[in-house]
Formats: sequence, structure tokens, C-alpha cells
Amino acid sequence: MAARTGSVKRRAQAQAAGALAGRTGRRFWRALEELADAPSFRRALRAEFPNAFEGVSDTDRRDVLRVMGASLALAGLGGCTPAPAPDARPYVTQPDQTVLGRPRFYATAVTFDGYAQPVLGETHEGRPTKLEGLPEHPAVRGSADAFTQAAILDLYDPDRSRGPLHLNQPCDWAAFDTAMVENGAHLDATGGEGFRLLTGPATSPTLARQVAALLRRWPRARWHVHDPAGGDLRREATRFAFGRPLDALPRLDRCAAIVSFDDDLLGPGPRQTANARDWSAARKAFQADGEPCRLLVAEPAPTLTGAIAGERLVASADETGLLLRALAARFSEGPEPSLALTARQVEWLNAAEAALRAAPGAALVTAGPWCDPAAQALALRLTARLGGLGRTLSLVEPIQAWPDGDGSLAALVADMAAGRVDTLAILDANPAYSAPADLGFAAALRKVRLRIHAGLHADETATLCHWHAPLAHDLESWSDARAVDGRPSLIQPLVQPFYSVRARSAVLENLQGRLDANPRDLLVETWRARLGDWGDPRWNAALAAGFLDQPAGEVSASPTAAPPPSSAPRAEGLTVLVRPDPCLWDGARANNPWLQELPKPFTKLTWDNAVLVAPALAASAKLKNGDVVRLGAAGREITGPVWVVPGLHRRTVLVHTGYGRRAPRQLCDGRGFDATPLRTAASPWRLDGARLERTGRRAELASTQLNTALDGFDFVRTTSRADVAPAPPPEPPPTLYPEKVREGPQWGMAVDTDLCIGCNACVTACDAENNVAMVGKAQVAKGREMHWMRIDQYHEGPPDDPQLFNQPVPCMHCEEAPCEMGCPVNATVHSHDGLNLQVYNRCIGTRTCSSFCPYKVRRFNWFDFTGDDPPERQAARNPEVTVRDRGVMEKCTYCVQRIEKARIQAKVENRPLRDGEVRTACQQTCPTEAIVFGDVSDPDSAVSRLKAQRRNYALLEEVGTRPRTTYLARLADRERGDG
Amino acid sequence: MAERRPNRASDADRDAAVTRAITRIPLDYPHRLAWWLFFLAALGLLAVFLVSVTVLFARGVGVWGNNIPVNWGIAISNYVWWLGIGQGGTLISALLLLVQQHWRNSLNRFAETVTVFAVICAGIYPILHLGRPWLFYWMAPYPSTMGVWPQFKSPLAWDFFAVVTYLTVSIVFWYVGAIPDFASTRDRAKRRSAQVFYGLLALGWRGAARHWARWRQAYRLSAALAVPLVVSFHSEVSLLMSAGPIPGWASTVFPAHFVAGAAFSGFAVVAMLATVLRKTLGLQDLVTAKHLDMLGKLMLVTGMLTAYGYFAEAFNALYSGEAHELQTLRDRFAGAYAWSYWGAVILNFVPLQLMWLRRFRCNPACLFLVGLSGAVGMWLERYMLVVTSLYRDYLVSSWGAYHASVWEWLLFAGTVGLFMVGFLLFVRLAPMMSAFEIKAAIFEHEESVDV
Repeated sequence: MAARTGSVKRRAQAQAAGALAGRTGRRFWRALEELADAPSFRRALRAEFPNAFEGVSDTDRRDVLRVMGASLALAGLGGCTPAPAPDARPYVTQPDQTVLGRPRFYATAVTFDGYAQPVLGETHEGRPTKLEGLPEHPAVRGSADAFTQAAILDLYDPDRSRGPLHLNQPCDWAAFDTAMVENGAHLDATGGEGFRLLTGPATSPTLARQVAALLRRWPRARWHVHDPAGGDLRREATRFAFGRPLDALPRLDRCAAIVSFDDDLLGPGPRQTANARDWSAARKAFQADGEPCRLLVAEPAPTLTGAIAGERLVASADETGLLLRALAARFSEGPEPSLALTARQVEWLNAAEAALRAAPGAALVTAGPWCDPAAQALALRLTARLGGLGRTLSLVEPIQAWPDGDGSLAALVADMAAGRVDTLAILDANPAYSAPADLGFAAALRKVRLRIHAGLHADETATLCHWHAPLAHDLESWSDARAVDGRPSLIQPLVQPFYSVRARSAVLENLQGRLDANPRDLLVETWRARLGDWGDPRWNAALAAGFLDQPAGEVSASPTAAPPPSSAPRAEGLTVLVRPDPCLWDGARANNPWLQELPKPFTKLTWDNAVLVAPALAASAKLKNGDVVRLGAAGREITGPVWVVPGLHRRTVLVHTGYGRRAPRQLCDGRGFDATPLRTAASPWRLDGARLERTGRRAELASTQLNTALDGFDFVRTTSRADVAPAPPPEPPPTLYPEKVREGPQWGMAVDTDLCIGCNACVTACDAENNVAMVGKAQVAKGREMHWMRIDQYHEGPPDDPQLFNQPVPCMHCEEAPCEMGCPVNATVHSHDGLNLQVYNRCIGTRTCSSFCPYKVRRFNWFDFTGDDPPERQAARNPEVTVRDRGVMEKCTYCVQRIEKARIQAKVENRPLRDGEVRTACQQTCPTEAIVFGDVSDPDSAVSRLKAQRRNYALLEEVGTRPRTTYLARLADRERGDG
Repeated sequence: MAERRPNRASDADRDAAVTRAITRIPLDYPHRLAWWLFFLAALGLLAVFLVSVTVLFARGVGVWGNNIPVNWGIAISNYVWWLGIGQGGTLISALLLLVQQHWRNSLNRFAETVTVFAVICAGIYPILHLGRPWLFYWMAPYPSTMGVWPQFKSPLAWDFFAVVTYLTVSIVFWYVGAIPDFASTRDRAKRRSAQVFYGLLALGWRGAARHWARWRQAYRLSAALAVPLVVSFHSEVSLLMSAGPIPGWASTVFPAHFVAGAAFSGFAVVAMLATVLRKTLGLQDLVTAKHLDMLGKLMLVTGMLTAYGYFAEAFNALYSGEAHELQTLRDRFAGAYAWSYWGAVILNFVPLQLMWLRRFRCNPACLFLVGLSGAVGMWLERYMLVVTSLYRDYLVSSWGAYHASVWEWLLFAGTVGLFMVGFLLFVRLAPMMSAFEIKAAIFEHEESVDV
């Protein structure tokens, strides 16, 4: 080695001498840079230090495809040990059961906050391209939220770690293994003294089994869990209410009345899909039969739940707690609070009380997971008093695996600071970024002798650790996890890992010095009792199903006496609420462009977080969108740009976590601001007595919708339940032109705004299905985002207490489309089955179609948005949809590729298309089934029956475009003057 | 003049003097330094044009400030504006030829030249603003192997036909009219190269009676083609906007409004150039106060017609009571781009009122300034029409803003350079006024006085 190093040095010196010959002065320094960059020098360096180049060099698209193609035969069946290169086969002989061009589907799951999100993964020639919700899974029934849809892009993230790091330098796995074996022997000697394991939230039975085994082997070791999204408060609340930690699962389908105190039941989070599914079932019963389905929300900041609620009350965090106690007192649960209520609050409270009384046994009262645990416990007890336990609220043993004793991050940091931690292994967590600021995690971490980090990315925590072990993505691992209803999902790989990564379970074994860990064997070990050995037919059945139908068993518990919610005096100043970002959540997914460019509810911001303030506060502090402010109290401060949000409480400021990441050379680096300084271990989600100061600076923010005031227009409508009755068929509007040729099914869409919660799942599903380009912040700020589907946000009424609306807007597929008339080259034309088609290779980019489009749903490729995509991202594309080039217009096609596929299949089988056979991507993933697509010429199709309702209306009907996409008006929860 | 008989010999001298005054300009240019200064400036702008077009082609139309909803920005407003300027030239030349207004003869040649280069500047804009400009020919109805034709309902397809037709007719009209003067220049040229150059352009013109007869037919025929084309062509251009269902665009007054506005801006630019050329080239005897007077009157008429268009648009919006139309009207009066609306109204109509008085019409400086005001005002109007309708159309959610990028402004400056280079080359190399027609006009004038 030494000799070779010497030779490199000599060569470099010789080169330097050559490069520097005849140069003096400034040229000298310039030449040094050139020297270091010379190809020959790089070659020499590479020969000497191959590890430094492993994975760092750009993988080109062919390599990615080759590796993935080779892994096809193994996907879903093969072991997950890295296949030795000789096993890779070119695609000369077609593997059995494989038809080129026909996708294969595997049931698996991806995790979100540790919970399994059951999915059906679509692969094309071994290349995963799309995740759908698993249709058979009772919790999701075919739906998937935006995070789950976007997980496919995490798999292809070019910023993922591609090999282990030692002291932040690339190394090989052998070095890591050696170190682990040595350290394992050392720990064996001491019984694990000073060994600590820190994981992110996890529900995996295999992980729980492995950790239990580890703690048996090293009895002095301890396990800690860091949940950056704050699930621990909810557990605390159940402990308050029932004496022991439980999971309280809301059953919204059984609820006739829901009263939520700042609980975003339908908002982002691992439970969103399940809750939205359940709620839409109840709402549909209301639409069909008038079964009551009341939703009343009191909240300081607008949430998706508040926006769809029949009665939304803007109340500060303190007032929310007060209202909860007042409501509880009306049901003899706790004393009446002494503070006075406003008339508006009393009115809301009366409505809530009446709704709850009208729904015996079908009532749910809930308080948000970030609220004071005592308040949450009060809501649980009130639900119990209303007879909701076992009906509207199921109590189950905690689904997440959780350490016995004090397994909190705070306890760990205290031990680290006290020097009691010798070895710390951090699995799938990034506390250096997401731990509350006052814990001083980073400083305490430096006192640990051996620090090991395993994660998908070399993140903030990885850079502080001695070792970084890259983990495999869920879609390339064998693992398991439990869904939010407790059913275990089996996670099987869709593809061989194409970086040098290991599964989490394998790394956990490596930590104990076991190097031969095979993740599939570890999984089989966990389920041996239930599914037998590998090869048992039960395994095949379970993997094909993707989950085991074994929901968490309900336990009965009765409310215990609990500490009353604190009624701390209101602090002067503003209340800052900190919440996980609606699109990035805790920031672990911040490298995902689909999530970064997903317009956030209520602000429609992309690529940034902001300090959200109420219109009244903005007016009094003379703040405009984009003004940079300092926000904080008691030395804890952040600096960020302001965004004004109608419907936010006037003394409340909302900020989101997930931004301000510090990960050099990664996509997320330096975007937005880090909200961590505002968070403390004692109060991670709320800061009282804060001040807001202008800095005089401005920052550019990229929002996809600059105006949300409805201004008296009727783009969104609200009507009474009577209007679900069918209307007489409308007269065909008069026209001078001959009726157009119509052949075959006539495609159309109905969007029920009474069911749409604005969750963005459809937007991400559309991005994934249709290869929609992400354009970056600068282009979004210029108004050039490419989303084919958008959720329009409106507010009506006083900005401090407005009614909020969501409206998904895809292409309207107008029967009399102005765009078609405008195009000079026949690039946008009408098909006989009623689609407004865009012919990319005929488009020359005059943009007349978009100028003439009253709905502005068309998107233009201002630059070559797709050509420079990294090869990994190109591999994520759907091969059935054209990737659009520079200078062409594009827009929603009603997923024409899906229509064609179904049409061909029907033709092969010599039968007509069935209703519901074609499902657009947005419809398929919609957790509330608000989007219905089908043949409008068939009066019995689902879409025709919806369009026949009196509440069906066309957007901008007065323009005369006769859109095929129509909307169903929202329904008022109750008739005027009725209860 | 009436009291003395014309002297034939002195007539010949005077005719020769007119011809000399005009043809000496290309052959022995009088103000070389000034011309070179102008020409270098124009070449600089032409370089700006080439750079901005190169950047545009290399990177894509995203280097401009356009977006959704403002798909069209100053590229389209410049297109309409340049076309309007061109239109003034054709009207002066062809319409007045047909109605035998001989005073036009001092103005027609350079007015036609303005047309040709303005239409060239206009015509490249729709191509540059395409997403894929290399495929612009797909708008042409040619028998493609793909079997696809243009979409004949589209106003853009007709725009393409209109611009190509108009450019062809303008060039033919200009060139046919200049043939006798090219011959005169050829005859007076002393250098061999100049003789060959003008000789080729003169197409063997010998001044035979048969030549004159044929020439007269061709010239009047192309004039007869050009005049209705001016109207139909600019009406067609207006459909680019008024065919769409966008508030502020979907209006039946647009065709007439556009034709009037185009003529107004055209006359304004011709007035500006006439006053400048008259001064710098010493042609006061040929472009007389009468010509300035007539230009002033034409500006007044077309300007007031344009004003009616504004009034009709606002009235229609108010009368319709339609929420989106009213919204657009409010945005024009008081929105983010209200400066373009009020700028257009004020610049187009306030200085114009001076033209009611002959004193101001005949004052070259005043006429120049009113013309400048009209040209700028009409630019603002085109900008206002494109942007204020698009930036806030129907759905509140899709409202946006538009700011032209530096590359758009540079391209605009570049097209001015393109125009100037072409125009200056014309001034330098071609007979700038119609010598024979001026002679004929003087002769006829005197004959009529004699009677």
C-alpha cells in the first residue's frame, strides 16, 4: 500500500511539475486546481482509492436499468443478499411469466412514521413505477395518501447514501463489519453496558423481536425511540385517561357527530387514508339517507378537517382547551371553567352539544395529538361518557413498538451528557435535526465514544457519527410493519437494491457482530409460528395478499381519574404553534421533489415553509407575504418569511417543521427555515409569549395560488341535502353547429366537493402516473408549475373567520373546447369518446390553447424540464406515458393510457367496457371517493347517476364550454334552523 | 404662378432637379457621418437581436417572463404593434394612389419601406414566441407526408396566411413602384458597380410607353390588392384575441378597433420618420407643410376612431353586466397594469387633440412629438390588451402576474435595430421618394392651375 501510495504521489508530483512548467504568479494557483481535476490524476486516484469512487461516480441510466432489469427475476421471490454480478443476465431470454410491456404488481407496504401504508407496487420490467393503495386492505381499500404515492421517488432519490461512511469518508462494508464485530465482542464482555439503541417510530414486529433479543443478549443496553412527529403525547393522553398507554383509534364511519378540538383527523399523517375512508363512508350515508354526519371543529389554524367541517370555529389554543372543558362540563365531565365565552363560541358550543346529544353512541370528541395530553385525555373520557368506547373509538394495545421504562429521547440525551453512553446506534432517525433545541442533542452526542448511524441519507446526524450505514428503502427490503389498524403488512422488495445498502434488520444484527444476517430469514423467523418456514404455501399466500388479516384486538378500559387540563394563565404575546409540515412531515422526506413541489393546503406554498399569520395580525404589524420576520421568545428565535392565511386565529402564528435541513449537496439543503429553535422538550409544539419583529428584508416564496378570496363568484357552491335528488335531464343547449360525432363510451368526471378534503393525494398520484415534471422553486414562483391536477383553495366571508373550500381542478374536457379552436396545427383535438386530446409531437407551442382556456389547466414546457433529470429519476417514469419535451403544451388526459388499456382488454375479450373498469389515477387514490369517472352516455353508470343530481354544476357554465368534468355542490350539515 | 406661362425648358430643368435631389441620395449620400452614426447604432441593436434570439433558441421560451395564465406577453403585443405600424405605410401609399391623392407621392416610398420592415419585425415574433420555433412551417398549408393540415378554424393559422400574404403584397407593391426610380438611379450612376446594382433592380426599364402602360396596370393592381388586405388582415389579427372566450378579449368591436388603432400607429410612425428625414436630408421642398398637415389630419381621424374603440369596449363590458367582464374592466382601470391602460389612453388622445389646429399640424417638431406619443401609446395599448385580459381571467385561483424578462426587452430593442438597419439601408441605397411621381404631380398641378 505504502509503495503504491508513493507511486501515486510521485505521479501527481510529476504531473504538477508538468502542469506548472513555465507558469508563475496567479497562474500557479489556477494550475493547481486544473491539476487536481486532470483526468489522468483522477484515474490514478481512483486506482489507489477505489472506495472513494464507489457510488460517487454518476450512475448512468443504462446502468440503473441494467441492474434493475437483472433484478426482475428476483423481485418478490429472490433473496435480498446482493446478487453477485455473474448472476446478472441480459434480457435476451425472457423470464417465465413475463410479458414485456405488461406491468407486474406486488403487494407490499411502505412505512410512514413507522406505520405500514399497504400498497400495490407496479413494476415494469423490474422497475417500480407506481404505488397504489392495496385494494384488499381494510384500512386503505385501494387509496394512498400523497406521502405514500411519493415514496416511489424516495427509492430513486439520487441523494441517497450509496455506501457506508466512516468519519464521513466513503469506506466499504468490510470495514464497518470489522468495527461492529470488535465492538460487539467488547459489549458482550460488559453485558451491553453503555450501549444505547435509538430508533425512529417503528411498528415492525421483526424489529421488536430483534430488539428484544438484543436486550436479552445485552441486558444493560437500553432502547430509545425518537418520534419527531410527536406520537408520544397521544400515548401520554391514553395513560392519563385509562391508566395505561393504549392506542385510541377513531372509527369515523360509525360517527354521527364528531367534535374536534384542533384534531386534524382528515389531515396529513399516517392515519389520513384510513380516517378519510371512514369519514367518507359516513358522509355518503348522509348524502344517501340523511344519516346525520356532523363535523364541528374548533381550531386555531385551518386544517383540512376544519375546512370540510359543517361548523368551524376559530379559537386560540387556550380557547380550544377552554371550550373542551366547557363542553365536557355540559356532560358532567369535569367542572365548568370559569372564563367567559364569546357569543360566537357559545353558539358553536350549543351546536356541538346538540349534535352530540342527537347522536347517542355515535359521538366522538377528540383533541389534537399535539395538544396538552390532559386535554386529550379529557376528550377521550368525554367520548367514553357519550358511549363511544368500542363504537366510535376503539382502544387497542399500542401498535408501535415501544421500549419499557423511560425510552424517550430526553432520557437518552441526559445519559449521553452524563457520559453514561459508550456506544450509540441510531437507526432510521435524525435527532440532530429534529430533536427539540433545548435538549442539546448534538453536544451530548460528542461525548459518546462510538456513534453509529444507519439511514437512507447521510443526514445531519450521520455527519456527527463515526459510522454511517446506508439503509435500503422499503421497496427494496424484506421487512414488516403494522398498519394504523394494527394489521401486519409484509414488506417484500420490488427491486434489488441498486446502491450498496443493507436492510434495517440486517444492520441491527450487524451491530451485534452478526454478519451473515439475511433480512428475509429474519422476517421468516418472526412469522414462523404463523406462516411456517420459507417455502410454506402460507408464505406465498401471505406475500401475495401483502398483509395478515389480524387487526389489533380491542381492549376494554375504563376511564380513570386524571389530572385536569392545566388552565395556565394566558401569556402575553403571540402563541406559536409548531406542526409537522403538511407535505414534508418531519423532514425525513425533504429530498423528494414531488413532496417539495406539492402545494401545501391553505398557502399553496411549495419548496418552503413560512411563518403563517392571520390577516388581522398581518395588518396590525404591516406585514405582506414574503416579509422576513424574527419570531420567538426568551432567546429562542427563528427568522423566516411571512405568509398570510385567512382563518388563522389572530394571535396565533403557525410554523412547520421539516425545513431548514442542513445536508450539503442534497436537494433539501437550506430550503426554508428550521423551526427547531422554537421547540423545547417540555413543549415541543407550542411556544407562548412570542414576539414578531420585522427585519425589513424580503424573501421570495413560490405559491401556486396567489388569490384565495372567492370574491362572490360561484366556483364552489353549498346547497342543502335535498339537492341530491335527481334533476330532470337538462335541455341540450342551443347551438348553430351540427351535433358532433359521438362513438363509444363518452368519458366524463364528477367531483363531489362535499367529499373532497383537499388532501393532495390525487395531485401526487397524477404526478406519478403521468410523469409530471417538477420544475423547482424559481419556476413555480414564475407561475410555471406543471401539475395537471390542482386543488384550488378558496375562502369566503370575513378573512378572520371565513368559510374554507377545496376544489380539485383537472382538465374539464370541454365538449366545446376553446383550446381546440385556437390551435393552428391540430395539436389539440377532440376524440369521439369525448376526450380533449393533446398531441405532443404535433404541438409547436403557440400557447393559444392555454390563453383561450377559461380554466387555465394547461401546462407548458417553458424549458426542457425533463432532459436533465438524473438517470435514477428517469427510471421512475411510467413507460406508458410520453415524457414531454421542451416547448410543448400538456394537460390532464383523463389518464388516456388507462382508458386505452381497458378498451384493448375489453376488445380482446370481446365485450363492452364495464362501468368502473377505467379508473383515473386521481380517482383511484382518492381516499374519500370524491372523484368518479366513467361513461356519461350510460345513464346507469356511477358518474351519470352523480351528474343527474340537482347539485351537479359545471364550473364557469356561462362560458358555454360544456365541460365533461362537473362538480357536486357541498351540502350543508343541517338545514337552517334545524337543531 | 398662375400669371405666367410655364416655360418648357425650365420645366425640364426642374424635373431634372427633382430627380437629382432624390437620386443623388443613394448615389452620393449627403449626410454620411450622421448616417453612419445611425447605422452603427442600428447595427448594435441588431447584434442585441441576434444575441437574444440565440439565447431564446438555445434555452427555450422560458427565458421570457411568460407563464400560466399570461401565456402571451410583449412578444404578441409587439407583433400587433409592429403590424399596426406597417399598416400606416400601406394605407398612405395604396389607398391614396387609388383615390389619386398626388400629395402622397413625397411620402409613399418610405412609407412603404416602413411597411416592409415593420412587417418583417412583426412576422418574426410569432415564430420566436413558439415553444418549438423550428416547426413554425406546420402552420402553412402544404401537402405534408403526415397528411395533417393546419387547423383552419384557428385564428393563428389565418394569422400566418395573413402575415405572409401581407408581406408579399407589400414587397411587390414597394418594388413595382420603385422600378422607374431604380432606372433613373441606374442612369445617373457613375460607378460600374452601382450601374450593375441598380440596373438589375430596374429590370431593364427603358421608360418606353409600353413599359409605362404595363407598369401602371401592375402598380394599381397591387395597390388594389393591398388596400382591402390592410383591413382584412388586421381584422384577422384581432381574432387572435377576440376569438377566445377570455373576458376583455371576446368582443366584436375588436376587428374595427384594431384596424383603426393600427392605422393610427402607422401614421404616427410615418409622421415621425417624415419629419426626421425631411430635416436630416434637406427635403423640405418635397415634403412640404401640406404633407405634414395631411399626416396630422390622418392621425386625428384614426386616433379618434381608436378612441371610439376604447369607449365601445368599456361600454360593452358595463352594458353586459357580466361579472367577469366587469372584473376585467376594473382591472384595467385600477389593477396592477392600470398604468398601461391609462398610459395608452393619455398618450394616444391627449396630445392628439393638438392636431385639430393647423398650426400644430404643420409644425414638424410638434407633429413628431404627437407621432411619438401615439406610437408609444399604441404600444401600451397592445400590451394592455394582451396582459390585462390574461393575468386575471376567470378563475380567481389561476390569477397571476407577468413581468417581461430582460431577454424580452432586449429582443424588442433588437427588432428596433432590425427595423432601423433595413430602413437606413433603404435610405442609403434606394431612391427614397418617387421622383417620377413627384414630377408628374408637379406637372399635373401646374396644368390644373393653367386651366
